[in-house]
Amino acid sequence: MNSISRYQLVAMLIITDVFGVFCLSGSISLMTVYGMLSAIALQFLLSLIFALYGENSARWQQIIYLLYVVFCGGVLFSLLWRTSEVIYIPYEGRNAIFGRLITTGLIAFVCLYSSSTGLRAVSRAAVIVVAAGVLYIIIDFVSAVFTADWENIFRPENQGFFYEMSRGFAASGGIGSFFVLLEKTRGERCHATVLYFGAKAILTVLIMLTSISVVGGIVSITNFPVITAAQLSQPFEAQRIDALFLVIFISFAVFYLTLQVMTGAYLLKKIFPGVERWRSCVVTFLVLVAALFISGRELILARGIATAVVLIVSTTVKNPLRNSADK
Amino acid sequence: MEKKELLPVLDSSIKEIRRISGGSSDVLINRFVTGGIHCALLCCEGMVSTSVITELIFEPITDIPEKQNAEELFHYINEELILSTDCPEIGDYDTLFRFMNSGFAVLLAEGMTRALAFGVQGYAARGIEEPSGEGNIMGAHEGFTETVRVNMSQIRRRIKSPELVMELFTKGSKSFTDLCLCYMKDRVPKSLVEKVRNSLNDVKLEAVLTTGQLRPFLENGNYEIFNSTGTTERPDVLCSKLIEGRVALLVDGVPYAIIVPRLFCESFHTLDDYAFKPCYTTFIRWLKYVAFLAAVLLPSFYVSIVMYHPELLNSTLFMLLVDAEKKAPLSIVTEALFALLMYEIIREAGVRLPKPVGGAVSIISGLIIGDAAVNSGLISTPLLTMTALAVLCGLVIPELNPQITVMRFVFIIVGGALGLFGISLLMCGVLVNICATEDYGFPYTAPFSPFKASGMGDTAVRSSVKKMQSRGFTVEEYHE
Repeated sequence: MNSISRYQLVAMLIITDVFGVFCLSGSISLMTVYGMLSAIALQFLLSLIFALYGENSARWQQIIYLLYVVFCGGVLFSLLWRTSEVIYIPYEGRNAIFGRLITTGLIAFVCLYSSSTGLRAVSRAAVIVVAAGVLYIIIDFVSAVFTADWENIFRPENQGFFYEMSRGFAASGGIGSFFVLLEKTRGERCHATVLYFGAKAILTVLIMLTSISVVGGIVSITNFPVITAAQLSQPFEAQRIDALFLVIFISFAVFYLTLQVMTGAYLLKKIFPGVERWRSCVVTFLVLVAALFISGRELILARGIATAVVLIVSTTVKNPLRNSADK
Repeated sequence: MEKKELLPVLDSSIKEIRRISGGSSDVLINRFVTGGIHCALLCCEGMVSTSVITELIFEPITDIPEKQNAEELFHYINEELILSTDCPEIGDYDTLFRFMNSGFAVLLAEGMTRALAFGVQGYAARGIEEPSGEGNIMGAHEGFTETVRVNMSQIRRRIKSPELVMELFTKGSKSFTDLCLCYMKDRVPKSLVEKVRNSLNDVKLEAVLTTGQLRPFLENGNYEIFNSTGTTERPDVLCSKLIEGRVALLVDGVPYAIIVPRLFCESFHTLDDYAFKPCYTTFIRWLKYVAFLAAVLLPSFYVSIVMYHPELLNSTLFMLLVDAEKKAPLSIVTEALFALLMYEIIREAGVRLPKPVGGAVSIISGLIIGDAAVNSGLISTPLLTMTALAVLCGLVIPELNPQITVMRFVFIIVGGALGLFGISLLMCGVLVNICATEDYGFPYTAPFSPFKASGMGDTAVRSSVKKMQSRGFTVEEYHE
C-alpha cells in the first residue's frame, strides 16, 4: 500500500460518509442537522486525540477496526437493498431476490477490480468522484435556494436530539478507515483531521438543508428524504437532476465498498502477516456474509454504537505524554 | 549473425561477403587498385548516392600515390583525405553489413583485417510534408518523415541548445532499425532516462517496423485502457515536450515519435492553443472535454434513459422520442449498435481504400445508406442524431478515438442491459483504470488527480504565455 495525500484520504472518507447521508431514512428536520453536527463535532474531538497522540495500533485495535469495516460493508449492501424501492435498477423489480443478488455481485465485482489497482489509484479516482459529487450537491442546493419552500426549515421536530445524534454517528462509515489509513497519509495528521471533519460538516449541512427545504412538506410520507429531494429537485426549466444523482449515488456506493474492502485487506495483512493473497476476496466475502445478517434492518442504534466503540478504541493510546514529548 | 572478424586476404574476404549475403543482387563490389594496393569498395545499391560516391570517394581515392602496404594506405586516407564526415572503422562482417545496408560505402584492402566505412547515404525518401493527422492552423506545417536523421535535424533546427541529447542505437535482430532517444539533459528527470533505457533493453524483436511495436515495452501496465505514452508527427510538438523534460524516441522508417510520459489532459492540447487568446483556448479545451464525455456516453445515456428511465425526460422530448421510436422495427440497443457498426465499417473502408474511392465510399454510405435507413424507418432519427453526434465528438480528440470507439460500444451494451446503474458501475471501473495508469511514477491523470493547482494554468484553463514563461514547468512536478 502506497502513501496518499490528505486530500485523497479525505475524498475517500467523504464519499463514504455522504453516502450514509444520502441513505438517511425517516423524518428529517432542523434537529437532524443539529444532531448530525454534534455527532461530527464529537467525532472530531476524539479523532483529534488520535491524530495528536495515536501511534501504530495494537493487534486488538486492528481486530476491532476489521470487524467495523466488515460491518460497514454489510451496512452498505443493506442500505442499497433498502433504497432499491426508490432507486430504480432495471432488472431488480422483475427478479426480486435474484435481482438484488445481481446488483450485489456487480458492485462487488467492480469493487474487487478497483481494490486490485491499489490505494493510490482508488484515491485518485475518489478525488474526481467527490468533485462530481460536490458539484451535484452545490447545483442541487442552488436550485433549492430559488425553487424550494424555505418555510419547511421551521417545521416542528419529530425526533429528539439524542436520536438525531445517533443518526449522525450511524452515517459515519468512514471513521474506521480514517484511523487505519491516517498512517498511510503524507503530511500533518491534524490537518487531515480538520479537513475531513470540516468538509463533512459543510456537505452534511448543505445536503440536509436542501432536503428539508425540498421535501419538508411531504417528509412524513417519504422513506428516504435525501433521495426524494434529489428526485424532486429541478434546477433547470425542463430537466430534473435524477440522472446525475443516480450516477453519483452508484459511484459513491462503489467507492464506499472499495474503501472498506481495501481497509479490511490492509488490516488482514497486519493481523495475519502470512496472508498475502486473496485478502480483498476474503474481506468481500465477509462483507457479503455481514450483509446477509443485516439485510432489511436499519440498525441505526447498532451503527451508532459501533462508531462510538471505534472512536473510544482509537483514543486508547499508549502513554500520550511520552508520545507528545517525542513529537 | 556471427561476429566473424574480417579476413586479411581480399579475395577470401569478398568470397565470405558473397556467402553471407547469399549472392544478393544489391550488394555491389567494385575492385580497383590504388597506391599499388588491391582494394574493393562495397555498397548497397539504392542506399548510396551515386554522384556523392563518385565525387567524394572514387575521384580522390584513385589519385593516391604509391604506398608500401595497406596499413599505410588506410593511414593516408584517414589523415590526409577527408572523404566523409562520418567514417568509422569496421572489424567484423556483422558490422560491415550493418553499415553497408545503412547506406555506407565500405573500403576493403588487401592484407587488412579492418575496413573503412564512409557515410554516403543517398536513398530515396519522402520529403518533409504537412502532417496528415495533427492539423494546425497557425503553427508550422512541417511533419516528421520516415528518415530518422532528417527527423533529428528537424528537432535540432528548433532546439539549438547543446543540452539536447540525441542517442542513436539500433534494435531488431534482423532489421537493425535505427532508434534515436532524445531528451534535454538539464530538464529531464535523471531516473526517467535510465528507466526508459532499461525498458528498451527488454526489446528482443526481430524487426522494429512501427512505433506500436515499441510502445508496449515503454508502458508498464497490461490492462490499461489508455496509452501512457504518446505519439506525434510534428517536430514542434515534440520540441515542446522535450523542453518540458520528457523523453522522445524516434524510429527510422516511421514518421511518428514516441513521447514518454504522456498525460491524459495532453490529448486535449494542440499547438494552436498557444496561438490564440487564452479565453478562446480555454473555451476550446472545455469543448473538447465535453466532446470526450459525449463521445463515450451520449448514445448509452440515450439508450438507457429511453429504455429504463423515461421519467427523466420532459414531456415534449418524451413524446418526440416515443413518436420516433415506435416506428422503428428494432430494439433501441440493436439500432444504436447497428448505426455505430455501420459507421465503423464505412470509416474503415474509407481509410483502407485508395483516396479517390475512399471519398466516394463516404458519400455513398453517408448520403444514400444513411438517408435510406432513416426513410425506411430502420433507424429512428433521434437515435441516428445521437450516434452521429457522438461519433463527431470522438473525432475532436483523434488521439483517443480508438479507446472512445471501444468504450462507446461497451457503454451502449451495458446501458441497454442495466440502465444508468450499469453505466455508473462501468464509469467507476473505467475511472479507476484511468487513475491506475502510471508509468515511471507519472500518474496519467495528473494534474487533475493527484491535483496540482500549478498545473491548472495549462489544463483547466490556458494562462497567458507571459505567466507560463515564468513558471519553468517540467513534467517532474507531477512525479509521485
